[in-house]
Amino acid sequence: MSGSLTGTRPLLRVTLRHEMRSFAPWIAIAVGLSVSSVLAYPWIFPDETDRAGLAATMGANPAIGMVFGPAFDLMTDEGFNSWRSLALAGFLIALGAILTVSRTTRGQEDSGQAELLASGVMGRASRLLAGTGVALIGSLLAGVVAGVATVLCGGAWEPSLLLAATFTGSGWMFAGVAAVTAQLGSDARAASSLAVAVLGALYVLRGVAYAIEAPSWTIWANPLGWMTETRPASGDHWWPLLPALGLTIVALVAAFAIQARRDFGQGIIAPRPGPARGRIRTTWRLALRLNRAPLIAWAIAFGALGLVFGYFATSVQDVLANDSAVAAILASGAATPDELTSAFLVTILSIIGIVAAIPGVQTMQKLRGEELADRVEPILAGSVPRQRLFASSAVIAFLAPALYVFGGGAIVAFLAGGADIGVSFGDVTAQAAATVPAVWTITAVSVAVIGARPRLSIAAWAGVLLSFVLTLLGPTFKLWDWALAISPFWHVPNVTEADRDWSGLGWISLVTALLLVVGFAGFRRRDIAA
Amino acid sequence: MDAENVIDVRGLGKSFGRFRALDDLDLRVAAGEVHGFLGPNGAGKSTTIRVLLGLLRADSGSVTVLGGDPWKDVVALHRRLAYVPGDVSLWPGMTGGEAIDLLGALRGGLNEERRAELIERFELDPTKRGRQYSKGNRQKVAIVAALASDAELLVLDEPTSGLDPLMEAVFTDVVADAKARGTSVLLSSHILAEVETLADRLSIIRDGTIVETGTLTELRSQARTSIRATLERIPERSALAALHDVHLDHGHLAATVDADRIGEVMTHLAPYGISALTVEPPSLKSLFLRLYESEEAPQ
Repeated sequence: MSGSLTGTRPLLRVTLRHEMRSFAPWIAIAVGLSVSSVLAYPWIFPDETDRAGLAATMGANPAIGMVFGPAFDLMTDEGFNSWRSLALAGFLIALGAILTVSRTTRGQEDSGQAELLASGVMGRASRLLAGTGVALIGSLLAGVVAGVATVLCGGAWEPSLLLAATFTGSGWMFAGVAAVTAQLGSDARAASSLAVAVLGALYVLRGVAYAIEAPSWTIWANPLGWMTETRPASGDHWWPLLPALGLTIVALVAAFAIQARRDFGQGIIAPRPGPARGRIRTTWRLALRLNRAPLIAWAIAFGALGLVFGYFATSVQDVLANDSAVAAILASGAATPDELTSAFLVTILSIIGIVAAIPGVQTMQKLRGEELADRVEPILAGSVPRQRLFASSAVIAFLAPALYVFGGGAIVAFLAGGADIGVSFGDVTAQAAATVPAVWTITAVSVAVIGARPRLSIAAWAGVLLSFVLTLLGPTFKLWDWALAISPFWHVPNVTEADRDWSGLGWISLVTALLLVVGFAGFRRRDIAA
Repeated sequence: MDAENVIDVRGLGKSFGRFRALDDLDLRVAAGEVHGFLGPNGAGKSTTIRVLLGLLRADSGSVTVLGGDPWKDVVALHRRLAYVPGDVSLWPGMTGGEAIDLLGALRGGLNEERRAELIERFELDPTKRGRQYSKGNRQKVAIVAALASDAELLVLDEPTSGLDPLMEAVFTDVVADAKARGTSVLLSSHILAEVETLADRLSIIRDGTIVETGTLTELRSQARTSIRATLERIPERSALAALHDVHLDHGHLAATVDADRIGEVMTHLAPYGISALTVEPPSLKSLFLRLYESEEAPQ
């Protein structure tokens, strides 16, 4: 066995130095989430009444609880922190671990870098060990730094450290999952998509399981559920971290077992010969073909998301009625159940919209990836106007998210309209339609970035990130309206309201048009990367 | 503007940030000729070609390709030219055949007969996927895609890198066929031998500027003949005045001389008793190597 691990130590050292740079932002976000909670909460929600009010607001919109997980206790700083950071930071660290493992193992095989390494004095398992080692160390670091920093900023010892330990736990489990998918996929992209799909599915299932108060086995069957069940600040159970450690070990053992049999640069599925003649003759068809796999995967994801959210919507009034704080709001006549239900649906569709923007941004990023891989050059050496090439990707980046919002929205509409909760199929579909312009604004950010300033291609995600933070977190932080209005989703009217205002959609569409002009003009004028 | 030239570049400059990649570059390729574009790695060959293709924007100077502006008239011009990049990157999931048809279709169509013939001659398997091809085979895909078109101008950027010697020979034949059909060719390379057999005229680029241009004969006449002689007595300085690159070790003399001064040199050396003598005809290689060395000022 020792022979297959020769050379791990120097490789791990080099990999750590290079990969920690890409892992650092994930750590920073996790630490920032946790630290900012304990710093900001006492300031924004100083007394009991404020905090009870927040708990009631959260209870009144289960859609937000579905993203962040259940709020067990919002009366203490630590309780608030574990509600706001546990699910989200755990998700982000897990995502960081997946991307790191895929990049350092299969990514290097795809780029040929690993061939140089593998031809050196290097054991068969060393590269996998170094890759997963970086993810494990990075996740551990995230936990240690977040825990210590939170305590230093005034968090109580035990809940803060336990919360931080769940970040590490999430990262470790998904480093293991990614190590397995890295053996299955035929290339780095397939490997990481597979692992991200597992993470996404478990995340949504956990959110829904808590929201609809599903039987407890649905939570215990879900590794992410173990993390939530540690309940920092409302119980402080350390033992659910043990099964997480167990899963990590089992997954890694499986990964190393498969790695020992796998051929270099190949997945489990062998490639077959393809057609000798091509039918793709335009840039439109080419863009479709290049984005085909992720577009299909996302279509399935939105079908599933629509089903889950739709099913959730049918039981939303029961969920609301079971919440004592919400019951008090309803009893006082401050809101009607129908109002809460339609506010819930608006949030649900905004969440679908923000997620739907991701494939849009990915499509534009793919165009940049093609450019960097020198595959745009031969296309433009043909008789192809630049705008047409750019438009081929931009059209997909606009159409696909719109279709996803409509498709996902239609499933929610069908299920919600069938249940007796006071909304019709038409209402929900109209709400989905009203959400689309906001999605387009986010996608247009990436069109502008890739067209005009491709070096900042990470900024293409700015729209998605801002919308997420402002739309879902902003209101609970009592942010000013002008700040909330930066998110295009703030301008989406509730179509069931009598005094709905459509002008906001006009304004954000103007911004969309402006961003498109910037993107297209930029792409026409700039040098193509070589 | 000379209507005969398919490529006409005057005073071209291009910078990337502070790095000046091209500086006052002149390049003219006549219709129907194969023009060799030679230079060491990093001299600016690919940058020049990317400007010719309208992928990069010229900072200064005038650039005309097939009578048009490569930046503005992209669509019309690219219907009439075909390009083979030096580093071919194929779509990992698409077969070579699909890539050939796509690139051909984007240019406005392929000559079906020639497509089949080229695949046959290059022994290319068009059913393999992009990620399965070796470097040489990826190169073949790009060559077939470009040469199967009826383009008036072929722009080839180090097209044979990665091809084995047999395939290189096939490539030479195929380009010669294209020339016979009246196609103009800009053939960039850093290897002289590749260009020597095909090119009518050559331009040599160094540090972003053309240092020599002309026909092979013209360039050859600029190269010096090398002389090696064993003399019985050490010659005086004045006897060596017409020689260049003189190395004198006891009686062994090694030097170069301009072709038109060989007789004169012989007359001067004869009195010192020549016991052995080799005179090598001018080699393009020596000129080429001399021009590559950047410390030395160009002639």
